[in-house]
Amino acid sequence: MTKITYEKPVISKITAGIPSKFGLPTRQKFIPDIDGIPVEMIMEEYGSPVFVLSEKTMRNTFAQAKQAFETRYPKVQFAWSYKTNYLDAVCSIFHDQGAWAEVVSAFEFQKALSLGVNGSNILFNGPEKSEEDLKLAIEHNACIHIDHFDELYLLIKVTRELDKKARVAIRINLDAGIYPIWDRFGFNYENGEAWNAINRIMLAEKLDLIGLHTHIGTYIMSANAYAVAASKLANLYMATHRKFDYWLKYIDLGGGFASKNTLKGAYMPGTETCPSFDEYAEAISNALISSEIPHENLPVLFLETGRALIDDAGYLLTTVLANKRSTTGRRTMVIDAGVNLLFTSFWYNLGVYPTRQLSSHLEESTIYGPLCMNIDVIRDAINFPQVKTGEKLVIERVGAYNMTQWMQFITFRPNVVMIDLERKMHIVRKKENLDTLTSLEQNPKR
Amino acid sequence: MKITEDIKISDNGFVFNSRTGDSFNLNPFALELMKNIEAEKSFDQIKAEVMEKYDIDDLSFEKDFYEFCALLKHHQIVLQDNPLDFK
Ligand SMILES: Cc1ncc(COP(=O)(O)O)c(C=O)c1O
Repeated sequence: MTKITYEKPVISKITAGIPSKFGLPTRQKFIPDIDGIPVEMIMEEYGSPVFVLSEKTMRNTFAQAKQAFETRYPKVQFAWSYKTNYLDAVCSIFHDQGAWAEVVSAFEFQKALSLGVNGSNILFNGPEKSEEDLKLAIEHNACIHIDHFDELYLLIKVTRELDKKARVAIRINLDAGIYPIWDRFGFNYENGEAWNAINRIMLAEKLDLIGLHTHIGTYIMSANAYAVAASKLANLYMATHRKFDYWLKYIDLGGGFASKNTLKGAYMPGTETCPSFDEYAEAISNALISSEIPHENLPVLFLETGRALIDDAGYLLTTVLANKRSTTGRRTMVIDAGVNLLFTSFWYNLGVYPTRQLSSHLEESTIYGPLCMNIDVIRDAINFPQVKTGEKLVIERVGAYNMTQWMQFITFRPNVVMIDLERKMHIVRKKENLDTLTSLEQNPKR
Repeated sequence: MKITEDIKISDNGFVFNSRTGDSFNLNPFALELMKNIEAEKSFDQIKAEVMEKYDIDDLSFEKDFYEFCALLKHHQIVLQDNPLDFK
């Protein structure tokens, strides 16, 4: 006699008056494979946890972004934001598709050079540039985006000493009608500081002012904020022309497009609420084209899009270690991937899914990482089916910032695997081992 | 383990606790276990029947059963002995 399939006993309290959020379908989504390769197989080969990157998704996303802008504006240039994910394999794919490099430290600058990026195709942002860093940038003819007056005067001094010209732009902060205003970076538009900086630079013999830059923030859900920013930069662009009879070359609107992740506390999922590339492109292009700038003098539009280009391409595969009940009866689950690997879990309600159809009965659960630390919570509240230990799970949309902001803590950082267009798997960053870590240490003899 | 008198269980898995006013849903297997608990069968007896009928090993079932019992206590559906009695 064949036996009946067992299903774990479940009792769930009925809470009247609280409808399930968004009336979401009770059908549980599951992710059996990535680009056609079964999740099980990837984990057998490369262990658990393991980050997986899809080259196909990266290329498709980039192509969508590019098309959205290029069909609306004549001159567009993306610069890959290194800090978002500076694994060589990732940067190489974006460079291969024509992106320049956007870097914020000497380390990132050198990484871009080592990948064969021409120095003149590097935008050097950020408040941290030492005298040595500035020299490096000048030697390579990079575009230096000046953050503050101290940097501007240091740069004047360095160019005099080297007797070399530097190509520069200024970072501008402005009120784009959104909160918070990132006014800690760059020169302010509204109080005239940015205009003063432009005037000072135009007087400096060895500084070639070629662009205006702003980065209004990250995960900006309002396309209109970009239109406001673009118009303000267009005003400065025209003012510079009127006063100095000189056309700047570019306007750089930075990054900040929202990825489809869902912010903590958001009522609707990010897939429903985030503007598309088309909406951002429409807002920005309209603002520039309808500004006072004559068509033949329109600047090149630079974009330093980070998270929106890579988040979707990254997955973290993980294994269930334990199921528990808290003292309040709440279901909790421990998985083998913690917040040390998922910096973005502090921001987002990351999507966690099984690899196969499990029981249709979902129970509100908390998902903990494996760290022996109270803060290690991947999801405080997620409707999840019952799973046994050893069950494989997929965390999606983790391509941005996790593989750069991760922390080596308590255990090794795992393999990062990339699936190429021919569905071949490659390790693009090896799992750490004891040697990786101890090789940097020195233990004084006593 | 005894289900309290305040509990009403319907055949479609709806549970009502008239003392606390709480109501609950049971999945089919949980309902079957409740019926067995109501009938005051012992754990060993229940386990034997379950193993006979379902595709499950004894340890997995034991783990699930006691987790389920802990929830029944938590929701005051079965009587809770003094947990510090260490009987
Ligand atoms: C100057 C600059 N450009 C681009 C980016 C990329 O931003 P995002 O990932 O939000 O697109 C950042 C991120 O903070 C940044 O500081």
